[in-house]
Amino acid sequence: MTRADLVWAALRRRPARTALTSLSIVTAFFLFGVIEGVNVGIATMAGAANPHHLLVSSRLSMGTPLPVAQLQRIAAISGVDGVAGLAMLMGSYRDPRNVMPVVGVDIAALFRIYETQMMAPPEQLAAAAHLRTGAIVGRMLAEHQGWKVGDRVPIQMPGLRKADGSSDMSFDIVGIYDRDQPDTATWLVANYDYINESRLQNRDSVSQIAVGVTDPARTAQIAQAIDDAFANSSNQTLTQTEKDFVDSLLRQVGDIAFVLDAIVGAVLFTLLFLTANTMAQSVRERIPELALLKSLGFSDAAVAGLIVIEALLLCGAAAMLGLTAAVAVLPLMTNRPALGIGAMHVPHAVFAAGALAAILVALVSALPLAGKARRLDIASALSHR
Amino acid sequence: MAAMVSLRKVSKRYRRGAQSVPVLESLDLEVEAGEFLALMGPSGSGKTTLLNLLGGLSRADQGEVRVAGARLDQLSPRALARWRARHIGFVFQFYNLLPVFNAQRNVELPLLLTKLSREQRRHNAQAALALVGLADRGAHRPSELSGGQQQRVAIARALVADPSLLICDEPTGDLDRASADQVLDLLRRLNREQNKTIVMVTHDPRAAAYASRRLNVDKGQLGDDATTVAAT
Ligand SMILES: Nc1ncnc2c1ncn2[C@@H]1O[C@H](COP(=O)(O)OP(=O)(O)O)[C@@H](O)[C@H]1O
Ligand SMILES: [Mg+2]
Repeated sequence: MTRADLVWAALRRRPARTALTSLSIVTAFFLFGVIEGVNVGIATMAGAANPHHLLVSSRLSMGTPLPVAQLQRIAAISGVDGVAGLAMLMGSYRDPRNVMPVVGVDIAALFRIYETQMMAPPEQLAAAAHLRTGAIVGRMLAEHQGWKVGDRVPIQMPGLRKADGSSDMSFDIVGIYDRDQPDTATWLVANYDYINESRLQNRDSVSQIAVGVTDPARTAQIAQAIDDAFANSSNQTLTQTEKDFVDSLLRQVGDIAFVLDAIVGAVLFTLLFLTANTMAQSVRERIPELALLKSLGFSDAAVAGLIVIEALLLCGAAAMLGLTAAVAVLPLMTNRPALGIGAMHVPHAVFAAGALAAILVALVSALPLAGKARRLDIASALSHR
Repeated sequence: MAAMVSLRKVSKRYRRGAQSVPVLESLDLEVEAGEFLALMGPSGSGKTTLLNLLGGLSRADQGEVRVAGARLDQLSPRALARWRARHIGFVFQFYNLLPVFNAQRNVELPLLLTKLSREQRRHNAQAALALVGLADRGAHRPSELSGGQQQRVAIARALVADPSLLICDEPTGDLDRASADQVLDLLRRLNREQNKTIVMVTHDPRAAAYASRRLNVDKGQLGDDATTVAAT
């Protein structure tokens, strides 16, 4: 028997109550970890977007294709340093649920525009240029599917109807690319011509056009020049920096960060009341026991300390459990290679903030009670007065 | 023999609303080491108040309180707590055992404030339980024990740290006659064989008969008790 047993005994006194409170705390901090993790993940995505090149999409909607002929005209605009039209399709390997983005593009042009974000050895890029069926795959994707250079992989492409009625394509993997954010290296990058010739739908169109610029300071002007060039055409364009593109994508679902923070705040606020209430009940029931400990010679501070430690233990252990669950689950929840979104992780800072919040919740709910226990008059408490 | 307790002109009053009600007034008391003193008196006469002063659970408004060599009226709250742990064992009418702990652990509680090793604490608690005749009940929770057994566990807890003074407030007030006799026998044995100084409050003249001296508390004053029947 040690002093720690006194704390355990307090928690064991009403096992159902302790279990329910713990469960609430675990859930709250699981939510905290997941939601703040997503929040930071989104901010990171937006922040990591390279501001030095532009993305051109249809002004009608993001999904509307653009004619491939626009590439030539954009390339001719002053300040433009390379264009790459992306045909974005969905493919699956072996299992219809095992999906990935398949991007048909001028591979060399794409890797030149994205040279600081997508990296592949030059000889592999050259190999892709020489082999119509060649493909460069993201390292995450390759590891996930167990592919290596030299493999020939059949991909089911439901969105692509070939002349023979089938929708299968085979690619020869000639290279593997890395990304500045490794989790997002999930594309299968193939030759535009190979994909374009195979399809009946949307032939000679692209989903988006990536545009390199010579002078990053002039991106806004160049974007305007591009949109002006097509202002009177039937294919009006919307040209944005990659960062604006991601931002506007995120804005479509409202101010996510604010909403998420508000939810987390509300959850923690509720939790504070719950914990404070549980602790208050627990202390109220034990007033005579606390007085007894004092009569035995436990100091006022020692008795107050027991209550603080009890709260810290309850909140701390349950919060750790919830945060750890968030750390384990968030990457599984967010890993969507099919969307080109890599796994999100609970950052250390979020974990630390969670731990700090747990300590605060414990202290705020326990300190007033600890003060009460410290001032508790033994004689009155023992006579149940 | 040295005085275990020495009160000089001790007064204690309680505030009830705006009023201040005197409970003990200019009270003197001497208890020698090795005595077994019974305090009797009507309900509300201040017996518990007096015990609380002796045990350092509350403070006198006036006067000198000297117990086991210390001037309680001059100790800081922290020093008073430490003094209680070292010198006083309490036995209450309603036992005040912690319900989540078994008998062994309840008895061990006061030893958490000593420097004894874990093994020593366990051993001493077991020895105290044996002394009150409950060596085989260590693993039982209070709810699994009779009232008399619970009170004997409480006595073991009061004894385990070898205090100078045992303070018992109506220890048999909640017990049937047979259990009460067992508890009183035990207290008398502790007084006679272990030379424990005991101050016990009781309503029951039969219980008071076990003591070596009896005093009456009435209207805040102490008087010799003439009505008590001698022990049989
Ligand atoms: N904490 C207290 N606050 C106010 N009055 C009290 C308090 N404790 C005791 N009293 C009053 O003091 C008187 C003596 O109480 P007490 O010492 O408990 O008597 P006894 O133990 O002899 O029955 C009673 O009138 C009681 O109501
Ligand atoms: Mg009383």
